[in-house]
Amino acid sequence: MLERRGHNGPAFRFSKEMLSVDNLEVFHGPIKAVHGISFKIDAGQCVALLGPNGAGKTSTISAITGIARATGQVLFEGSDISKTPVEARIQRGISVSPEGRRVFANLTVEENLRLGSAASDSNTKTSIAEFFDTFPILGERRHQSAGTLSGGEQQMLAIARALIAKPRILLLDEPSLGLAPKIVGQIFSLIGDLKAKGITILLVEQNAAQALRLSDYVYFLNNGRIAAEGTAESLGKSDTLMAELTGIS
Amino acid sequence: MNRGLVGASLLALVLVIIGVVAAYFGTRYQLRLVYSAYVNLLVVLGLQVFMGNARVTNLSHSAFMGIGAYAAAICVTPQNIKAISLPDAPWGLNTFALDPVTSALIAIAVTGLIAFLVGIVIVRLSGIGATIVSLAVLVIIHSLFLYRTDIFKGNQAFFGIPQVFSLTSVVILAVIVVFATRLFRESRWGIALRASADDEVGASTMGVNIYRLRLIAWVMSGVLLAIAGIAYAYYLGTISARPFYFNHVFLTLAMLILGGMRTITGAVLGCFLISFGLEWVRWLETGPLLLGIDLPEALGLSGIALGAVIVLTMALRPGGIMGEREIEDFILKS
Repeated sequence: MLERRGHNGPAFRFSKEMLSVDNLEVFHGPIKAVHGISFKIDAGQCVALLGPNGAGKTSTISAITGIARATGQVLFEGSDISKTPVEARIQRGISVSPEGRRVFANLTVEENLRLGSAASDSNTKTSIAEFFDTFPILGERRHQSAGTLSGGEQQMLAIARALIAKPRILLLDEPSLGLAPKIVGQIFSLIGDLKAKGITILLVEQNAAQALRLSDYVYFLNNGRIAAEGTAESLGKSDTLMAELTGIS
Repeated sequence: MNRGLVGASLLALVLVIIGVVAAYFGTRYQLRLVYSAYVNLLVVLGLQVFMGNARVTNLSHSAFMGIGAYAAAICVTPQNIKAISLPDAPWGLNTFALDPVTSALIAIAVTGLIAFLVGIVIVRLSGIGATIVSLAVLVIIHSLFLYRTDIFKGNQAFFGIPQVFSLTSVVILAVIVVFATRLFRESRWGIALRASADDEVGASTMGVNIYRLRLIAWVMSGVLLAIAGIAYAYYLGTISARPFYFNHVFLTLAMLILGGMRTITGAVLGCFLISFGLEWVRWLETGPLLLGIDLPEALGLSGIALGAVIVLTMALRPGGIMGEREIEDFILKS
């Protein structure tokens, strides 16, 4: 039921370029947070951006959604969206579950989802009802303020809110941040389900072990530059890199 | 079932009951009191649309009510009366008279346009900046009302406005506005606006165009305030600059704060609690005999009471009596 918004017929898997970023530089005021990185994601792929704090991962996501000031080129399904306003990017099918969850605490669970569905042309009510089947805990709390949910529930809500617009690509920014290990397992299992359904995912994470397990391709960011890239398998074999990623030597 | 419609219907029922009780049992004075409570309700609902949803403090609302009242009054007042009361009016304002409906529509359009122009500045500010600008707008508009006596007559009475409104008219208006404001609150725009009040960056990430939504709410607020001004002028038949200034700003703000600015139920509750509570305080001011005790005269008690309401609500219950709850939350299961 969590199909991708399909304007072009059936989902492509590993064939069509969904998103490509070329020579991206991101600025926060006078500070350059990302120094000319390039990467791409094919339709149906789960690509991970890994790296320590301050590596430029969230800045990259912000540049893709249009929130941060950036130079370079962002191509989405072949068209240049570098100058496209945020609203239009979301409407075209880029959806983000932001770092720190950022659920709207004073809105109810249902209102958070309705806000997420604003970018979708689909029938919201049916979508929300369907979502409550997939996320029963959110259904039980539908009229409750989102601020009263637990951290794990808020993360589920943030992902559900991003999914309800039936995005072409889902950007997940640190979905495991600040969650108990058991809940982290549940969240990654949910991401695994989404991947299995063919949803294109850009996963930004510090939890390298979990991210490597799910991802088809991995970019390792450090100090705003891509320090390494490769398939999860190849990067997983590099002891030095794994030590850097996981902090375990 | 749409909870917004259920809530608005319940509030509408309460409004109709208060109106019917007042119409059947109220004295002439009480009828006037209830009428003014309904006009203030229109103001508080107008204030809620912007302030409650975007959570940006607005202190200029009484001025917009005044623009609506004066614009309608200038259009609707018979030519022979305007020839006497506004002999020096510019732009031929004293050379025509329109019917009440056309006058009201022109007043709404004029207020909406001025709200739009002010809104372009206001919506880009937040916090203290927006509040200060709204205060400046109140002072500017009030000064125009006061010193352009050739158009507004200043503190003198602008008389001769046809009294075409009754309690029934204002109750019907209040019911319509309760539905409009509640449905706006529950709409995608309303939800997005409330989300932006929670977290501006988070809302932008969701593709919410915050400035555009704030501008829409600000103009809608201006239009509702114009309607309140028109209802005020069309009932009293006489207006002046004084009622559209600080005292009224403070009174209606206290109403919204006490009930809870985030909900329509809060706006309605705060409005009626203060309207009727203030009447009781005014009675206490006169030094009545209460439970065998001869109370002393206490002039100014109503001002103190109003201030105390704001201070105590902000200190003890910043979300107001209702907080995030609407009337139907007490009946429907969550």
